[in-house]
Amino acid sequence: MDSDRRRDSRSWDWDSQQCRAQLDEIFFRKHDYIQAGSTEHREFWAFFDRFQRFKTRRDMSGSSRKEGREEERDQRRSGTGKVDLGLPKEYDARYRINVSVCTKDVEERLGKSEHRGRQRSSGPGSQEISDCRLALLHFLDFSQRQSFGKLAKLRREQKNLPIYQYRDRIVELVRLHSVVVVAGDTGCGKSTQVPQYLLSAGFNHVACTQPRRIACISLAKRVSFESLNQFGSKVGHQIRFETTRTTATKLLFLTEGLLLRQIQQDRTLAQYEVVIVDEVHERHLHCDFLLGVLRSLVAERSDLRLVLMSATINIKLFSDYFSSAPVLQVPGRLFPIQVTYQPIPPEEQASRSEKLDPRPYLRILQGIDQRYPPEERGDLLLFLSGVAEISTIQEACQIYATHTRRWIVLPLHSTLSLAQQDKVFDIAPPGVRKCIISTNIAETSVTIDGVRFVADSGKVKEMSFDPKAKMQRLQEFWISRASSEQRKGRAGRTGPGVCYRLYAESDYDAFAPYPVPEIHRVALDSLILQMKSMCLGDPLSFVFIDPPPASSIQTAVTYLKEQGALDSRGELTSIGSLLAQLPVDVVIGKMLVLGSLFRLEEPMLTIAAALSVQSPFLRSAQHNPDCATARQPLHSNQGDPFTLLNTFNAWMEMKGERGGGSRKWCRRRGLEEQRLYEMVNLRRQFKELLRSHGLLESQYSTSSGGDRGQRRERLTERRKLHQLKRDHEQQESTRRKVLKLEEGEFSSGSGSDTEGAGKGKNGKERSGQNVDIQEVKFKLRHNISELQEAVTVSQDLSSRQQALLKLLICRGLYPQLALPDEHNSTRKESEQVFHTRNKQGVVIHPTSVFASDPEVLQVPESDTREMGPDRVDSSKHQLLAFVTLLETNKPYLTNCVRVPALQTLLLVANSICSNADCTRLVVDGWLELELRDPEAALKTLSTALTHRAEWERLLLAQLGTSTMGGQAVQGVSRKVTEKLSEGLVRYLLYTEVSYSLRRLTAFQTQNLYIGPQSESELPHTNTPGLSALFPGAEAKPDPIKGGLRVTSFFNYNCLADSKDLYSECLRTFWSCPNCDLYMPLTPLERMQHEASCRPAGEQQQTEEEPESGKACSSSMSSLTRVYHCDVCNEDLSLTSTEILKHKRQHMFTTN
Amino acid sequence: MSNMEHTASEAPLKTFSCQLCELSSPFTYHGQKPPNTRAIVLLEECFVTRDPFSPDREKFLVLGSNCSLCGMRVCAGSDCSIFYTKRFCMRCVNKHLDQFPHQIQAELAKKKQQSSRTAVS
Repeated sequence: MDSDRRRDSRSWDWDSQQCRAQLDEIFFRKHDYIQAGSTEHREFWAFFDRFQRFKTRRDMSGSSRKEGREEERDQRRSGTGKVDLGLPKEYDARYRINVSVCTKDVEERLGKSEHRGRQRSSGPGSQEISDCRLALLHFLDFSQRQSFGKLAKLRREQKNLPIYQYRDRIVELVRLHSVVVVAGDTGCGKSTQVPQYLLSAGFNHVACTQPRRIACISLAKRVSFESLNQFGSKVGHQIRFETTRTTATKLLFLTEGLLLRQIQQDRTLAQYEVVIVDEVHERHLHCDFLLGVLRSLVAERSDLRLVLMSATINIKLFSDYFSSAPVLQVPGRLFPIQVTYQPIPPEEQASRSEKLDPRPYLRILQGIDQRYPPEERGDLLLFLSGVAEISTIQEACQIYATHTRRWIVLPLHSTLSLAQQDKVFDIAPPGVRKCIISTNIAETSVTIDGVRFVADSGKVKEMSFDPKAKMQRLQEFWISRASSEQRKGRAGRTGPGVCYRLYAESDYDAFAPYPVPEIHRVALDSLILQMKSMCLGDPLSFVFIDPPPASSIQTAVTYLKEQGALDSRGELTSIGSLLAQLPVDVVIGKMLVLGSLFRLEEPMLTIAAALSVQSPFLRSAQHNPDCATARQPLHSNQGDPFTLLNTFNAWMEMKGERGGGSRKWCRRRGLEEQRLYEMVNLRRQFKELLRSHGLLESQYSTSSGGDRGQRRERLTERRKLHQLKRDHEQQESTRRKVLKLEEGEFSSGSGSDTEGAGKGKNGKERSGQNVDIQEVKFKLRHNISELQEAVTVSQDLSSRQQALLKLLICRGLYPQLALPDEHNSTRKESEQVFHTRNKQGVVIHPTSVFASDPEVLQVPESDTREMGPDRVDSSKHQLLAFVTLLETNKPYLTNCVRVPALQTLLLVANSICSNADCTRLVVDGWLELELRDPEAALKTLSTALTHRAEWERLLLAQLGTSTMGGQAVQGVSRKVTEKLSEGLVRYLLYTEVSYSLRRLTAFQTQNLYIGPQSESELPHTNTPGLSALFPGAEAKPDPIKGGLRVTSFFNYNCLADSKDLYSECLRTFWSCPNCDLYMPLTPLERMQHEASCRPAGEQQQTEEEPESGKACSSSMSSLTRVYHCDVCNEDLSLTSTEILKHKRQHMFTTN
Repeated sequence: MSNMEHTASEAPLKTFSCQLCELSSPFTYHGQKPPNTRAIVLLEECFVTRDPFSPDREKFLVLGSNCSLCGMRVCAGSDCSIFYTKRFCMRCVNKHLDQFPHQIQAELAKKKQQSSRTAVS
């Protein structure tokens, strides 16, 4: 109270840093509740200043004392006859604080202060200390109120959610019934609240599935926040690459696919008490399947609780599927939306080939401008079917926007860069509206706040699967009424809205009620494989909620048989059961297994990962000449997988050299870096899977080693990175930017070619402000030096390794092969045509390297020989192996690799038929190869058979040991595989046989085979020892095609042609190069002899090898590889680091 | 995969819930000396949880306590209770309003006015 006087007498300055520091030493020490230097500490001193100002003002007005007296009087008056609360006579704001701060330090100083204050002219006296303490108390009280206010607000919001009223009812239903359906529309709060209700009701291990990964993360974050343990671990998420799950986790958000994988491992899901399946109405493939699996599980586990959550769409379907499970319907919380039907007049309707007419869309923008004043905020969301449509309308709208300066036009679709997608969440400046032109991605996956107007074209492009042509098809359809309502609802999330429908009400009435579920639209290969591995019996009899067509299941089974994942009886093969464990396409899984067998795992891991994510090459950058130039060195004319491999390697190398700056590097090349990060994550997951299946040697122990200093350095680095990540996460939420009016203009014009520039500008702005969080996460997740090691291994592939790698890719992709049309050499670059077995006249997707460089697919003229009108003989025929056949406006092949035709077919095809002297071969019933020289034909075929037998043996050995676990790779010795790869490479590169290659016509395929023959016609049937020569196969007459079935894939002499009946007479003299045999043999006899007669040197050689100079100690040799040095002109066996050293050595000498 | 095995060791979280406004939230501590608060002492027996809004996990948040007169469990929100040397639930405050200092009376009157106004509009 007499503070002023005392303060005057001493030199104490509250504003001085030193004075404050002295108080810090009393109140904010290292072990105190608030520490000097922390955020709270800074906040305290800011608060202190405000508090002092407030006090001074109040002291000056002098009101406090007077009021105090009044109060005394008040109390006197009322005193009698009531409980005395014993409240102090004089009011002091201090009494309203329920906290006190007392330490020995403070008490001592306050106690002694009377004399000490006089002794020391500086330093805080008792008055300063008590002032500071008072301020601290008020500060603590203030922060308590602030946090409590937030909590109260949160609880209020939770209470206001429509679903809150049903809280007890939901818990009760779940207690009583094993399956409950909760149906509620957008905004009712089911996804965030239901799991919490169940947790607080005492349910303990709750899993909640989501169709989208992003939803898992955001829901876990939100629920964890709402349940007030944001920093605890009771609520977690688990998606493909990351998890926050711990032993304490009680509620886990995970993807549908992941829960299915968990069921594969833990059939009864014993780890969960409750499973919530959210968004069941979206009817994703995994979700439908999951419901089927859970349906039988519920019958088995009476303690399991299953909650299905859905929009109010088709609820009866779900309830009925689970024997009339109870349904709880919750109203949504949508504001009223006015619907206007504005069908497009006939003259503005685009025909199939034309571009979309923008006039109907422009009228909507104009109408909004006329009807609603610009001060009334609210953005427009426009739904179109596809990317091409979006860029057409965007272009037109941008012209209007530039003119009126009242709109910012932004596209939204999944092939945009993430930065570009992110822009739709930014805020338009006052008086300006966003016009977001989107695919159906904004219908469910992406939710944008502030949308007041929706314009719905009523169209959607959906992927469907044509089982006959084994082709994906992207087609435009009318949407369903359910989608139409969903789109409309997007206008009423934050206030009343308007929905313009660009179709007539009668159209709406004619729409299908619901979208076609995914299970009816897509290839079921992976699903069937997973069903097989889960032992769910015959897929045809599995009770789906809405069974897919039987033909679709049949196609998948056939395909899996072709791929070797199922045997002829439809049971899983050993490779099939491994493939079922890998969360990738069957073809990609196969490549991984093959890559590890031939120790090409490093490049194969990268290729498999690259083919499993969206292409990192941004379509929009393709027409940008700068990007095209910068990309050029990454291209490989071997095929797209190799371009991807080069890109990944170059990116990794650049990251290692420069650390940061990879964002810029990617931007310059028109690459979406996010995809590369996905690749590196996926790559690691694959590697771990292969390792856990014993297909890869376990990690070198040295990689995590290093001396103590290095380890410490790494540790400090990691700590720093973790801090950066935490910091980033904290500021993440508060970063919505205001858009500039010109924002849309960058990407106008052609709608594509300038995206790079526009993004570049924006990206730079952002990167200046914050660290590259992706880079931070990348460094935290991966061991960079190990990755670089891996990259070095796959970087300078020799042409031999490349040839082998291509063969392995091709065996993975088989039967996805395409044949160049024979007249391609006379066609223009853009008109090259190809044929697959089931689909004729397909073209190469414009993103493929072969689209710009088709000559490499043609047979070089120097090598050809015209044999007739339709026959071109060459040894250089090539085929394309492709990943997908996708039909949009045309059928396109994507991700292609070129391979030598004859060799590849003989090495990978499932069905090879020959005539009697093996000069005519028909592969898979559609490709015909005619070899001129019978001698060479026989040799080529025979070598292929030998290699294949060995390949199959090694693969089985590898898989056989791997399924037993433990010491796996021991099963197939390095030497043996090296010998096989050597043989395969030689076969691929040096088979110089001239042949013709063509597709059979429909007529030709009709009379292709001899057909069944009687015993007497088949002299070879009972040849003793025949089966022993071809392990695993008995040569017996083929009951359908005729001829002899020599192996599972080779039918001898079943082709109907002129020579077929005289095979017995085809004996020619032949001398075996290995033994001294010289006698007349039929082609078959000769092949059989060759298969069994090993070259004399071979066995010896293998025995000698360990002593030869090449071999090092066994641990070292596992790291070395053969490196051909062009300077020394020598093959050296070196480790990757040694190769670098070796190269450097030349660098210095040549300089 | 068996991360979520049932752990019996962990005591179920007790829940604090306000008997006036029904605000409820799990609490981790009840008493006057929450963990890790060092020099800080509470002047009443409070229901305390970790402050979920602070990035620092050691910060505490008082949810509420029992009314010193009637013993009702009330939250710290100004609609439900007042702390003035002791905790009083709003019912007791209104019953004994005359014993409270003028400042508090004025404050409550003002709030009443405001809330009735928003209720009308």
